[in-house]
Amino acid sequence: MIAEEPRVDAATVTQLAKSLETELARLIVGQQALVRDTVISLIAGGHVLLEGVPGLGKTVLVRSLGQALSMSFSRIQFTPDLMPADIVGTNVIGDEAGRREFHYQPGPIFANLVLADEINRATPKTQSALLEAMQERTVTVGTQTRPLPSPFFVLATQNPIELEGTYPLPEAQLDRFFFKVLVPFPGEKDLLEIARRTTGESTPQLRAVADAESVLAAQRVAREVPIAEHVLLYAARLIGATHPDRTELESVRRYVRWGASPRGLQTMVLAAKVRALLEGRYNVAFDDLSAVAQPALRHRVFLQFEAEADGMTADRLITEILEHTVKEPARA
Amino acid sequence: MAAPRAGRAGNPGGDMNSLDAIIRELGGAAARARAARYAVHALVAALAWIGLVLVIARLTPFEGRVLVAAVGIPIVLAVALLAWLVRRPNASILMRLADFRLGLKERLSTAWERRRESGPMDAMQLKDALARAADARLATAFPVRVNRGEASVVAVLAIFALALALLPNPMDQVLAQRQADRVSQARAARAVQAAQKKIADSPKPTPVDPQVQKILQDAAAKIREADSPRKALESITPAEQQLQKLTDPGTPALSSSAQNLANALSATAAGKSAAQAISSSPAKGAQSVRDLASQLQSLSPKDRDELAKALAKAAQQAQNSQMRDSLNKASSSLKNGDTSSASQALNDVASQLDSLQQRQNADQAVASAINGLEAARQELAAQADRDARGQGAQANAGSSASPGAGASGSGNGNGNGNGNGTGTGTGTGTGTATGTGNGNGGTGGTGGNGSGTGNGSAAQSTERV
Repeated sequence: MIAEEPRVDAATVTQLAKSLETELARLIVGQQALVRDTVISLIAGGHVLLEGVPGLGKTVLVRSLGQALSMSFSRIQFTPDLMPADIVGTNVIGDEAGRREFHYQPGPIFANLVLADEINRATPKTQSALLEAMQERTVTVGTQTRPLPSPFFVLATQNPIELEGTYPLPEAQLDRFFFKVLVPFPGEKDLLEIARRTTGESTPQLRAVADAESVLAAQRVAREVPIAEHVLLYAARLIGATHPDRTELESVRRYVRWGASPRGLQTMVLAAKVRALLEGRYNVAFDDLSAVAQPALRHRVFLQFEAEADGMTADRLITEILEHTVKEPARA
Repeated sequence: MAAPRAGRAGNPGGDMNSLDAIIRELGGAAARARAARYAVHALVAALAWIGLVLVIARLTPFEGRVLVAAVGIPIVLAVALLAWLVRRPNASILMRLADFRLGLKERLSTAWERRRESGPMDAMQLKDALARAADARLATAFPVRVNRGEASVVAVLAIFALALALLPNPMDQVLAQRQADRVSQARAARAVQAAQKKIADSPKPTPVDPQVQKILQDAAAKIREADSPRKALESITPAEQQLQKLTDPGTPALSSSAQNLANALSATAAGKSAAQAISSSPAKGAQSVRDLASQLQSLSPKDRDELAKALAKAAQQAQNSQMRDSLNKASSSLKNGDTSSASQALNDVASQLDSLQQRQNADQAVASAINGLEAARQELAAQADRDARGQGAQANAGSSASPGAGASGSGNGNGNGNGNGTGTGTGTGTGTATGTGNGNGGTGGTGGNGSGTGNGSAAQSTERV
């Protein structure tokens, strides 16, 4: 067996993630799961949809991430009158050496970290402009296609309340997000700490712990984490179990309209690989898949109206699927 | 968040060896654990089998229950051993289970699965897996333990089987009776075979011997193969009837005539020796009568006259017509002085005495056969009676009543009347006897008394029929 050394030591990735989480924790109080999921998405090269009520630190998290990563950062506040050109840029007439000619003015999407704040407030046309960029990692204006900077990481936020005047993201576009992370309301202890940190004389300033190159290298390393066949089979079983016509769970058959896509499986496996590295392992474990199942699948499992009427959520269904899907294929 | 324990790829060959060592250790531990589990399974199955056999043995007579129960144990052990050998988990499964049970987070199974891969992270993963495995007590992944539920089942089954084995079994009595029945039937068959041998060894073979042998042989086989002594008894009477048919009904008359001739001749000087010979045996008598016939010419007129009167008297008393005719002819010829004709008539008488000797020999063989059958009948009847007493429900009629061989009776219930006749001859000649037998019905059940009538013939005065 000839072993090929990874381009970046896996331990370096672990260290990068640890530094990033530590640095973010200086500003983000509590919310360890949120930070962890965000870091996993970053290293996996996926985009994150953050959902939470206003004031929970979503924007702060993204801004802090930009500071900690020493990468270009831009923020787009989505509103109903926001146009696609406001995001991807447009050709404008300029005066250059006495000649008037069109030249391309890049939009705010040309950044390593993009905060798409309140994405559901923009029209579907504008949303789709962003989502196309997220998927293709290129922007086409006129006849010219331009690549986005790498790494390219979008963190979109949306508010689960105040739905009036919003344009909920369609299922196909939700699927473009690697993770959908719920931002929970902090506990009392965390609230006290938030109050202490943010109402004093100064707020902590974050230092950059990684750059674009190290993030890209980490993304490459993460993909090299091995996963055993039976663990991969478990991931596939989880995905299959979200489909009403392929599951044995009554609740899934009753409440789910459409289960997770193959992209959901890709997301789970990739996220599990990153999590394994973050946990100090060089292989994917069942626990990694279980840990990432909720953020990876909750926006990919589409429920019936009956589920809403009965108070059933995607998270509850996924928990049920995790409990009932067989991990161990044999006994001795 | 822990840092990975291994950062660089190590010696691949050494790693493989270590993985193999892990497999060996896990395999040994798994084999021990499975052996214990299969042993308990086998114990449960063996005890269940024994219990089942013992339960069946309480519901129905089951002679080979100990053997069948014992045979089940090695079979169950063999099946368990076979299952233990066949269902050995492979290395991949062992690794997965070890990961699962030791909390190794799929390190071993991934390393084993990718042992021949050369991906960038495989060597590091292998090192990490081996390092973790070195810290873990691998054997604890497959502990040797007995499931509490199974242990309870074993205890319950053991108590159940022990109770079934120790408590009295009502079917034991039935089995003992069956055994006694078989022994009795074997004894009865041996009695019949003894009669066969006696006839075969007889110095005086008769023409009916082959038929007698065949009848006895069939009867012995039927007795041996019968389901019960009662069924065996049913085969004796037909055999006796067949034997009876082999006897000549005219023999008693001829025998009586010969005896009367002997009595008549004993009073004459010339015929005294012939009389003694006839009384001794018909064959000797025949020879003596021939001698007398050859000496007629040399007799004095007085002796001839005396002899003629004796012959006439014997002819008068003779029950056999041929004998009577020959005696009359001899008497009248002698009176007329025709010694030649008288000699011829006496030779005829001698021939009839030879014939009588042959008939008596045949009757003796038949009587011996019947005696053998009677001995078998008594043995079987006694056992059938014991069975009836044991069951208290069936009646046997006239199982051991006296005279009248081959008689059959009828009674209420299932009675069979059998009688034994005894006849004794009188004097020095042959005798006839007739007997009437009455059988007493069995005491059990609702069967009434059976009555039987039969005729017996005694072949010889010394023979008990």
